[in-house]
Amino acid sequence: MKIIELIDADYGLLSILLRLDIQLPFGDISIGEMCRRYDMSSALFLMICRMYACPDYEPDSASLTAADLPHLVRYLRSSHRYWLDTVIPRIGRGVDDVLQSCDRMQAEVLRKFYNDYCDEIRRHLQYEETEMFPYVERLARGEVGAEIRMAEYMENHTDICDKIDDIKSIILKYLPESCTTRQRCDLLFDIFSLRDDLAKHTLVESKILAPVVMVEERRRGL
Amino acid sequence: MRRYRVAIVEESAVVAEGLRALLAGGGEFEAVYVAEDIRTLAERFALVAPDAVVVSTSLSCGLPRNIRSAYPDLRSAALVALAVAVREEEIMRQFDSVVNIYDKPSQILKKLRAAVEQCEANPYGDSHDLSDRERDVLVRVAKGLSNKEIADDLNISIHTVMSHRKNIAHKTGIKSVAGLTVYALLNNLLDRNDVEL
Repeated sequence: MKIIELIDADYGLLSILLRLDIQLPFGDISIGEMCRRYDMSSALFLMICRMYACPDYEPDSASLTAADLPHLVRYLRSSHRYWLDTVIPRIGRGVDDVLQSCDRMQAEVLRKFYNDYCDEIRRHLQYEETEMFPYVERLARGEVGAEIRMAEYMENHTDICDKIDDIKSIILKYLPESCTTRQRCDLLFDIFSLRDDLAKHTLVESKILAPVVMVEERRRGL
Repeated sequence: MRRYRVAIVEESAVVAEGLRALLAGGGEFEAVYVAEDIRTLAERFALVAPDAVVVSTSLSCGLPRNIRSAYPDLRSAALVALAVAVREEEIMRQFDSVVNIYDKPSQILKKLRAAVEQCEANPYGDSHDLSDRERDVLVRVAKGLSNKEIADDLNISIHTVMSHRKNIAHKTGIKSVAGLTVYALLNNLLDRNDVEL
């Protein structure tokens, strides 16, 4: 299958190419060829695409091995970069645009709420990058000793989707009429897409990453 | 065309059957159930699944002042009074429409239709305005009070506080304390100086 066919089937998958730093134009190369060029496991790449494109898809994590883990971590890290460097600043600019027409107190309150939420996302992502991912990478290299295990990392995994729903409700239902519908809608498109993306990301972690890591932990008798 | 299902609560068989025949003649409504008291209907409500409940104003066991809080099951249907006796304004206010037994058939159908349509557009159980009590709870949540402190403050149980909080989250679409604080400030339920942000 060619990559172009994949994108034709669901253009939302462009964001996965973007965060994996896959350069356009890709001509008529196949998915397998692209994965070889970018050193990505094609089974894993397709599994991630299916998770994004099909709402009821249940990934078969048993078909992956510890060798796929570094690829998966690379994908998850690049998603973090994509949000932190591109999506969150863009939403921040949208929030600023919308708040221009609010009175000072309202703008201050909302900006504070949004900034606090961004800090929460950063802390969440940072925890994964400095604690969980390095552990997974060490496990894949067989360098893991006595330390906390995946199950415990997943327990500390906080939900970062709730508050984005709050922001959505506030913008849709409660911001004063002085904020234009156009500005609100532009912002809402970005917010809905970030929310869906965060939810999928959580699914990739819980349905692919965690099961593969736990099987590897057991295999090594940890 | 879909036919609306109507349940009738009326003790007089003559009146109930008269209304049933009248509705059948219109083609738009169908009387699917007749009960002599509201409780009997409430118990079978899920099975009967009416779009409108027509309640006689002269039931021998009396009419509750708020039928919907006495029988929450009935909330999803339009509530229409069948005025066979004059009742106080306070009781009549709860009905979406009042049908008089001396109304012309076309008038009765028109009133029923309006009540059902209004109920569909703005279902009673789905009202998104916060009640006074919910506002009291919301303001205290935004100020950072715990459930226990709110319960003591308002003299209600913690369980009731939690149930109010659930309703507030459902109605506003906002779950986090920080988000509820923003809501309270935007709606002038709170002063900026009341909260630490």
